[in-house]
Order: sequence, then structure tokens, then C-alpha cells
Amino acid sequence: MTARTTLHFHGGPGTGLSKAWAYVFTGAMVLFSLFPVYWVLTVSLKTRRDGLASPPLWIFDPTTANYLKLWGHETFKYTFLNSVIITAIGVALSLAIAIPTAYAIVRMKIRGRNLVGVWLILAYMLPEFLFVIPMFSLYQWTGLYDTHVGLALMYQVHVLPLSIWLLSSFFREINPAIDEAARIEGASNWQILTRIYVPCTLPGMAATAVLNAIWIWNELAIALGLTFSRAQTVTLGVTSFRGYAALDWGAMTAASIVAIVPMLLFAVAAQKHIVKGLSLGAVKG
Amino acid sequence: MTSALRFLGSASAFWFVLPCLLVLAFTSVYPVGFGLAVSFTNWNWGNQFELVGWANYANLLADAEFWSVIKNTVVFAAWATAIETALGFYLAVQVDKLAIRTDLIRAVIMLPLMVSGIVVALMSKVMFDPFLGIINHLIGAFGLGPSAFYGAADTAMASIVAVDVWWQTAFVFIIMLAGLRSLPAEPVEAARVEGASEFTIFWSIKLPMLRSLLITVIIIRAIDTLKVFDIVFGTTGGGPALATEVVQTFVYRTAYSYQQIGKAMATMILFSILILVISLTLQALQRRGERDA
Repeated sequence: MTARTTLHFHGGPGTGLSKAWAYVFTGAMVLFSLFPVYWVLTVSLKTRRDGLASPPLWIFDPTTANYLKLWGHETFKYTFLNSVIITAIGVALSLAIAIPTAYAIVRMKIRGRNLVGVWLILAYMLPEFLFVIPMFSLYQWTGLYDTHVGLALMYQVHVLPLSIWLLSSFFREINPAIDEAARIEGASNWQILTRIYVPCTLPGMAATAVLNAIWIWNELAIALGLTFSRAQTVTLGVTSFRGYAALDWGAMTAASIVAIVPMLLFAVAAQKHIVKGLSLGAVKG
Repeated sequence: MTSALRFLGSASAFWFVLPCLLVLAFTSVYPVGFGLAVSFTNWNWGNQFELVGWANYANLLADAEFWSVIKNTVVFAAWATAIETALGFYLAVQVDKLAIRTDLIRAVIMLPLMVSGIVVALMSKVMFDPFLGIINHLIGAFGLGPSAFYGAADTAMASIVAVDVWWQTAFVFIIMLAGLRSLPAEPVEAARVEGASEFTIFWSIKLPMLRSLLITVIIIRAIDTLKVFDIVFGTTGGGPALATEVVQTFVYRTAYSYQQIGKAMATMILFSILILVISLTLQALQRRGERDA
């Protein structure tokens, strides 16, 4: 018992054995998370014959043929570009709308505050097709169907609630005494928001933008329901390779890798923001 | 307009919130209202648009296919949420014990979260291929399999649950790790000085403090898994037969393949009520726990 207590003080929590197990288990989970992506990457670098070899090949001559073929695939390139545009519009729209709303909820008097809160939760939690199917006809009548703006607008039903929760919690960390001081100097609410709150919460803004971008980039159901050709997203571009499953793994896996690379780069560059956003989102949600 | 102004408190606040209200009204109130109305009709996207009263609801509730779709969805959500919560929380506890910098570990473990559902689905199709897939090859080394995975009714659902576990466990992990790290150090140190075992410290000190956060995570995962669409659409498409058909793939098929919009919307309304009931129940559980504590 004495020995164990000493261990606690010198080596932090846990006995030697439980610590060793913690390393082993974490290592196993790292492998579990990494292996499928690694494996699919290798399949995308195999020739068709190597890709369909039995037993599967661990060592092979890598080829870029699948990626070159994808580069010549006009439709897929187009969907990738569409996703870049739609993600940019969707993120810009969500921040432009959520920033003043979050400020008003945190620092101004709104009588219907609780009602707005419940509304946000409902919009966030209800299933996609509840919104998409009724919108299908309205979008066709109004000309929003199969447009970048139309899709980015519909995505707000999910990203707006999340953005408002996140931004509200970042704004709450600012001392309200600063508002009072600025107001005495004659600043309006709008000036307080744009000159103090926004510059002070830039990391929070980044976290919100990153989470929204990931969600929009990866979304499928809404894009499936509200686009047809001109505004098809990269998730639909990848879906079009679904039928190749039995025939051509090379094209399908190459398209998959290309579709996830932007988000993987994001994850590496903005890990802290993503973690911050996710953790706060859970506390608020 | 004046009553709206008074309702919102002040003119200035009204302008700050107005864009949000307009966008939410357009993207959520209109579709839910119109969808509710359509659920009482036999609309087919075209000229057929007659009121049928409660017929869509009555037919659904009497339809064995509807109930098996609901059952599949709930079974999927229950298994996926349970495994992801247990595995993600356990992993967070283990990573919390490590005496090294864990930024890189955390980044690698959350990699699956960055991958879109449809890509996860296609990746799993390559790996779960019954004849050429790597998974049958790997489990064969342990004398298991080969399994048909998506191809057989008795393994298809388990395969989809496994895919969701790979995809979303990191969500639970990241939040519970943040929760563990934000716990106050004093009670834990005090218990350690008293000679309490790590298990006792976890069970009677850390877990009660994390209970509310854990239930929040369960609520989020439950809602998210009930709404499952991408990974079913991308893998089995609901098959074999109806073995993995879930509510959102069923509704997609009903609306876009069979043009039965009234039936599709009635299904969505019933399903939304189910989601509400499940999350309100879980939330009541959370409140009761906070009151007791």
C-alpha cells in the first residue's frame, strides 16, 4: 500500500500495470482509427489487378493512374468545386447571421429568448427529410433548386443553431463591464459588437467556422434532395461511384480520398479549434 | 409589427435577431408547416392533391413494414449509441492516464469524424467485401469468418453498427476527455491521500461529476443515430430485403421513388415525435440526477 501511494505521488495516477494497459489500449484505438483510411489509400494507389488480388496485397507497385483518371473526370471535378463554393457561402452566411443573434441573446433584452432557444434546438435535432421534402417543391417554384445559394441557405437550419450556441458561450466570457464603459463613451450596440466582441473572440469564430465547414462539406441528405446537376456537391460526386463497388475499386477509393483530404488538412491545422467547438457544443446542446 | 417589437424587447435587439428569425422561419417553420399539411393529403408531386384526413397515419400504423423500419432504426441507434458511449468514455479515461503529450493521439483518433458518411460507407464496402475485402482476410487469421457482412440479413445490421462505431466514437472521446481534464484536482488528490483505489476514485468521485455531461453526450448520439441516413444509403440501401431499412432511407424511397409525399411526410411527423419523446425522456433523467446531487 505504501509503495502504491508513493507511486501515485511520483508517477501521477494509476499503478504501473494500469498505466501500461492505458498505453496499449490507446495504441490499439489509434490503429483502429487509422487503419481503414490507410488501407483505402493503398487501394487507391493500386492497379486494378493489384486492388482485386486475393489475398489482399500489403506490398505493391504504387500507381497514380486512378487519380489521373479522376482528374479527367469532369463531373467529379465540378462537384468538388461546387462544394468549395457552397461551403464558403454557407459558412459566411452562418457567421453573418449568428454573430448579431448571439450578441443580442447574451447582452440585450429579448423577451422571446426561451422560445428562440427551443426553436433552435428543434431545428437542430429534427431529421433532414422533414425539411427537405417540403422544400423540394418550393425550391423548384422559386428557382432556388439546384443552386449554390439555395443549398447554402438550407444548410442554415443545422449550422445556425450550432453557431449561435457556440458564439453565445464565447461572448459570455467577455466581462459585461466593458460594454458599460463603451456605452458611456457613446458607442452603439453595433459598434460594441464589431469593435470589441468580434475581435476578442476570433479563436471562437474560427472554431465555429471550422465546425460549420466540416458539417457542410460532408452533408449528403439535403444535397441529395435539393440539387440535380449544377450544384451537386462532392458527397454526391462520391456517391456516383457507389455502383463501381464490384468493378472498379480504384476510381471509388481515389474519389473517396480526394473528398476527405480537405477535411483532414483542416483537422491537422485546426485541431484545437475543433476540440474547443465540439466540447462547448456538447455543453450547450 | 409593433407587437413584434414589444415582444422582442427593444427595436435594436429586434434588428439583431431579425435575419436569424427570417432564415429559420424559411428553412424550418415553412417546411414543417407545409409538410404537416401535406401529410393529410395524397400528393404525388403532381396534380393529385386531395385531402385524405388521417388515412396516411392510419395506414402507416397498420403497416408491418413501417414498424419493422422503426424497429431497425431504434435497434441501430441503441447499439451504436451504447457502444460508442462506452468505448469513447473508456478511451478518454485511458488517455487521461497517459503521462505524455496527447495532442497528436487526439488528432489521429478524431480523424474518422472528419470523413463524410458517404465516404465512410464506400470505404467500408471495399473493406467488408465478402471475397476480396481485407476484413475477412484479417479475421480469417484468427480462424473466424468468412462473413457476408452487408450481404446477409443476420450480419448486415451489425456491420452498419460497426461502421458507425468507427466513425463517431471519437465524438464521445473528445468531449469526455475535455470533461475529465476540467475536473477539480482537490477531491481526487484528497481521496488518493486517503488511499482510495483508482477504481473507487473513478466510480465515486469522477463519474458523479461527469454524469450530466455523459447524458448530454448520450442525447446527442441518440438523436444523431436515430437520424442515420448516409451510411445505410451508401452500403446496403436498406437491404438485404428490409433488414437494414431505417426511417430516413424509407422516407427517401417513399418520396422520391414512389412519389407518395403524403405518406412520406406522415412518416416524418411520427418519427419527429418519437425523436422528441426519446430526447425529452433522457433530459428528464438528466434533470432528476442534478436535483438529487
